[in-house]
Amino acid sequence: MFIITCPFCGERDQSEFSAGGEAHIVRPKQPTELSDDEWADFLFMRKNIKGVQFERWNHAHGCRKWFNVIRDTSNDKIHAVYKMGEKPPVK
Amino acid sequence: MSENFRSLETKFLDKTNRISFKYNGKKYYGYKGDTLASALLSNGVHLIGRSFKYHRPRGIMTCGSEEPNAIVQIGGSGSFTEPNVRATEQEIYEGLEASSQNCWPSVEFDVGGINNFISPVIPAGFYYKTFMWPKKLWYSLYEPAIRLSAGLGKSPTQPDPELYDHNHLHCDVLVVGGGISGIIAASISSDNGNNTVLIEDKNSLGGSTIFQDDENFKINDEKSSVWLNNQIKKIKNKKNLTIKYRTSLAAYHSYNYLLARENLTDHKSLNERSNKLRQRLWKIRAKKVILATGAIERPLIFNNNDRPGVMLASSVKKYIDYFGVRCGNKNIIFTNNDSAYETAISLNKKGINVSIVDIRNNSSSMLVKNAKDAGIKIYWNHTVVNTKGYRRIKSIEIMKMSEDGTNVIGSKLNLVCDNLSISGGWTPMVHLFTQSGGKLKFRDSDQVFIPNTATSDQISIGSCNGDFELDDIIKNTISDCKNFLSLSSTDFDLLKVNCSKQKESKNIWLLPNDKPLGKTKPFLDFQNDSTAKDIKLAMREGFRSIEHVKRYTTTGMGTDQGKLANMHALGIISETAGVKMGSLGTTTFRPPYTPLTFGTIVGRNVGTFFDITRKTPMHDWHESHKAKFENVGQWKRAWYYPKENESMYQAVQRESKAARESAGILDASTLGKIDIKGTDASEFLNRVYTNAWSKLGIGKCRYGLMLNEDGMVYDDGVTTRLSENNYLMTTTTGGAANVLSKLEDYLQTEWPELDVWLTSVTDHYATASVCGPNSKNILKKLFPSIEFNDVNFPHMSFKNAELDGINCRIMRISFTGEHSYEINIESKYGKSLWEKCMDAGKEFNITPYGTETMHLLRAEKGFIIVGQDTDGTMTPIDLQMDWIVSKKKYDFIGKRSLYRSDTMREDRKQLVGLLTDNPNEILEEGAQIVLDEKKQPIEMLGHVTSSYFSPNLNKSIALAVVKNGKKLKGQKLLVPMKDKTINVTVSDFIFFDSKNERLNA
Amino acid sequence: MLNINYPKIEKKEYPNLELNIVEPIHKLNLRGKNRDFFTKAGRILSIMLPTEPNTSATIKNISALWLSPDEWMIYGKDIDKNLMLSLDTEISKLNLGSVTDISDQWVLINMKGKNVFEVLSKGSPFDFNKFKNTKNVVVQTLLNHVDVILHHNDRNNIDLFVRKSFSEHLWLWINDSSSFL
Repeated sequence: MFIITCPFCGERDQSEFSAGGEAHIVRPKQPTELSDDEWADFLFMRKNIKGVQFERWNHAHGCRKWFNVIRDTSNDKIHAVYKMGEKPPVK
Repeated sequence: MSENFRSLETKFLDKTNRISFKYNGKKYYGYKGDTLASALLSNGVHLIGRSFKYHRPRGIMTCGSEEPNAIVQIGGSGSFTEPNVRATEQEIYEGLEASSQNCWPSVEFDVGGINNFISPVIPAGFYYKTFMWPKKLWYSLYEPAIRLSAGLGKSPTQPDPELYDHNHLHCDVLVVGGGISGIIAASISSDNGNNTVLIEDKNSLGGSTIFQDDENFKINDEKSSVWLNNQIKKIKNKKNLTIKYRTSLAAYHSYNYLLARENLTDHKSLNERSNKLRQRLWKIRAKKVILATGAIERPLIFNNNDRPGVMLASSVKKYIDYFGVRCGNKNIIFTNNDSAYETAISLNKKGINVSIVDIRNNSSSMLVKNAKDAGIKIYWNHTVVNTKGYRRIKSIEIMKMSEDGTNVIGSKLNLVCDNLSISGGWTPMVHLFTQSGGKLKFRDSDQVFIPNTATSDQISIGSCNGDFELDDIIKNTISDCKNFLSLSSTDFDLLKVNCSKQKESKNIWLLPNDKPLGKTKPFLDFQNDSTAKDIKLAMREGFRSIEHVKRYTTTGMGTDQGKLANMHALGIISETAGVKMGSLGTTTFRPPYTPLTFGTIVGRNVGTFFDITRKTPMHDWHESHKAKFENVGQWKRAWYYPKENESMYQAVQRESKAARESAGILDASTLGKIDIKGTDASEFLNRVYTNAWSKLGIGKCRYGLMLNEDGMVYDDGVTTRLSENNYLMTTTTGGAANVLSKLEDYLQTEWPELDVWLTSVTDHYATASVCGPNSKNILKKLFPSIEFNDVNFPHMSFKNAELDGINCRIMRISFTGEHSYEINIESKYGKSLWEKCMDAGKEFNITPYGTETMHLLRAEKGFIIVGQDTDGTMTPIDLQMDWIVSKKKYDFIGKRSLYRSDTMREDRKQLVGLLTDNPNEILEEGAQIVLDEKKQPIEMLGHVTSSYFSPNLNKSIALAVVKNGKKLKGQKLLVPMKDKTINVTVSDFIFFDSKNERLNA
Repeated sequence: MLNINYPKIEKKEYPNLELNIVEPIHKLNLRGKNRDFFTKAGRILSIMLPTEPNTSATIKNISALWLSPDEWMIYGKDIDKNLMLSLDTEISKLNLGSVTDISDQWVLINMKGKNVFEVLSKGSPFDFNKFKNTKNVVVQTLLNHVDVILHHNDRNNIDLFVRKSFSEHLWLWINDSSSFL
């Protein structure tokens, strides 16, 4: 159980949040223009790396806002938290 | 009358409070504050149990949580009994009943003891090797036999009657361990404004220093025990400090999340316990953690080192100096280091006969000098090669060691004793540190693993950090705490510490013997009976990884997790394999540190609180009308309402007929309801549903299907346009929370430009759904001012209404195919609304029906239930719902996926109807469907998703998903069951009123 | 007349703890983000909607709880149908934001006494150390796995909001936990 700092509500227990997979995968504006392969790439392909990963989390039992988290999947260390639409902080 | 071994005065027990208890049926006495072990020892009882494999007699070895042997069953004949309790931790209380484990018929005479004599033929891996073949003997012979002899203790057969609960605790600094370093750390931390918690697994603070009576150990010119006692008095009054006794840390997770078990009543007499919590699990979040868990003494590994009466030297010291109990009248100390000399001096001072066997050549410390001065006989450079005595040690044989320590020389010397105190040095308790993800390093000088790098904000101090001498402990504790808490000074900075320093040390993991290893029994894991021989055998058979050797030999796999001798196993492996111990690493230490009872883990989440229950506003009515309930997610939904002796089948048949013939009423309050507002609400619905919404008139309702981005059906429901920019969406009962979260996700991340607001109103409204040909007549009675006709109030429209002055909404929508209305009202009026409907419907025999009838009625109509007829692999096209997928809309969630080559395949599994050739035969939901039973391998075409006997059609009907099903109408298929094969024919999936005439009837 | 029914919740007393149901009481959900929305809402309610996370504003018998940067819960004895109507007309109808009646979505349980936080800590992972020493703070968290909104009105006095369908279960749990302090 880690602690996540919701960019709106502050530090909270992990149980208040739900994970939403990899961040910064933008839904194509014109899906019909894409080939099957391009669409499949958006739909299915995820990095799932061991190490520092960009993720989406939702403060499901709090303010219900979605936001981004930079987390090291090897030790659960959270390096940064930032709002949707913001650029990841430069390290 | 047995001899009393409590000849010594002690200030740590309440001698005015004498307590009686039973052990193996016999009555004994002890004092308040005694552990079961100390009380038994004071009565001269050493033999406690039989070992796991060879059933050798075993006695008390230690005085703490590392105890491998003295584990007992607590509790008498009642429903409360707990196995595997360490006698060294269990405090005695009036009425305590304890008994030995793993022995039959008694601990004194145990039939399993025969295993000891056949031990040469049951080596490590015996079970793996022997019971492999012949295979058929496994069930008939091997497994029953192993089960009979396996396991320690008896598990309770009744539910645990005790109370347990959980609590969260947040603090700035958590100090684990109330020994001298923990007390100093807690003091420093709380003095500097940190909200501090100190937890200690025993009933008092002070660790081993509190009974340190030796003049060599002084702090500020006071005896260390006196100085510490004053510190303890001081910290008890600190306002930032909470001290929790009898609380042991079970687990240390990442982010400084720790679990600790507090024992509240285990030390109290049975009548003081009633209706009180037995244990509490603390879920601790600490900003910083200070581990001061101490060290445990190592045994020495030599032949027959497991007899009752062989004990750790430091424990023997605690029994004398703390409990006032001598563990024998003729004691021998066997050691490789100075600390055991403290035990010798203590014994000597109290006039108890003691001599010392030391594997070292000499030692020049103050302690050793004191021992010599006291006239204690010391056998230098000697090792024990054998011990004798079956139920209690009687004598030992010692021999001189060769210069390099690999052999013994000269003749054997026989020494009589009734206690052998062994000391092989100290092992820092790094279990919690490694549980948290910390990495260890190996210190060659004294062969210990100590904390190296931590993953969270924590430090280890005192002997768990590898400091074993009083001056180092105090000096390093203070400086480490200052760094850790960013302090420039503390009240302890000027402490003056004196102590005896050890100068000579020698470590031999497996002591030499005059006999070959195969003829000796040097035990490593006392609980699981693995010996040095077993480790070497595993090595010969090719095992190298410490994790593999552990599992093959079971070393360290007992309830004590091998706390005592894991290090020796590692040492022997590294010597045999010629690998450095540091590079070998350790086995993984996993939580819990000491066993937890299930009651503590589940807390109050039992019975009513096992799972959360959600109830509708009408729940009480259903309950008082004898409804059976079904769990739908967390909801309790009325399932059916049996009358008198009706079976479920009979009740559902009756309810189903009534709903179609006259009127039925369903509690639909559990459906998810989302209020959607904003100027872009219509556009939003266009994007989330497959069909078009812009042209839906105000006051009209529409059914919508929601897909995942992969094109698969996700949820469905009716959405009503309440006003220009306000819709009310309904979702499935189980999908409500996920749908809201998914919609919020799209709004917040993909389409933040849309002016749309979502608010969950699921619980705000109660919904009664009235259906059947007489529904209109019932509604007319309830709402006389509304004109109920197809022009004014057509199917798929809604009206605002008032019922006795209370606003409500009426939707004319149908999930049964009947003329039907759903009435939404603020949920506080829900039960009252339901009763009004029942009253108004009385003359029409309005029949309440539950979810089962609802499922049957909609199956007659071929309406899908998301999650029952779909499973995340069905597209709307697969469901033959092409009509609901807009071709005109540019985009909606999942649209692109409907044009992937895979989703466009024509031979996908598709929804069809199935009719059994015998109309009375009801298919089982989930049954597989095949074309040809003889073809091998048999090809599964699909499965039955919904199946009922339809009372309105008087035949069995089913929905199924079948490969290429759309083209198979009229095809004969087979549903093979366990004892028969059912013949079925693929049909249309709308079985009833396919022209929808009843909607407007 | 339609009768009002609430889950089986009645006043209970434990050592240093008193539990009460405070219903029926009006509750509104407000959503919005532009300046006109804030101005309108502030004027109609006579309360500036709090913008600082996890705080509340109370004037007379109306409280506004911060739930997220664009969401508030308004509740209190002084809210009546007229106030709700004017909010709806001047905010929802003018598309400045959204106003939704959620009076029956939540049940208000009042907990007061020194042991309030002792009981809450049993089921909530939230760190109440700072919270319990601050007035007019709000937290949305979990209590025994159930979503709750906690409003710390006054010292050791909490208005707890729980979704109605969960309320009976949570009430039983709170009572159970209160009996083993």
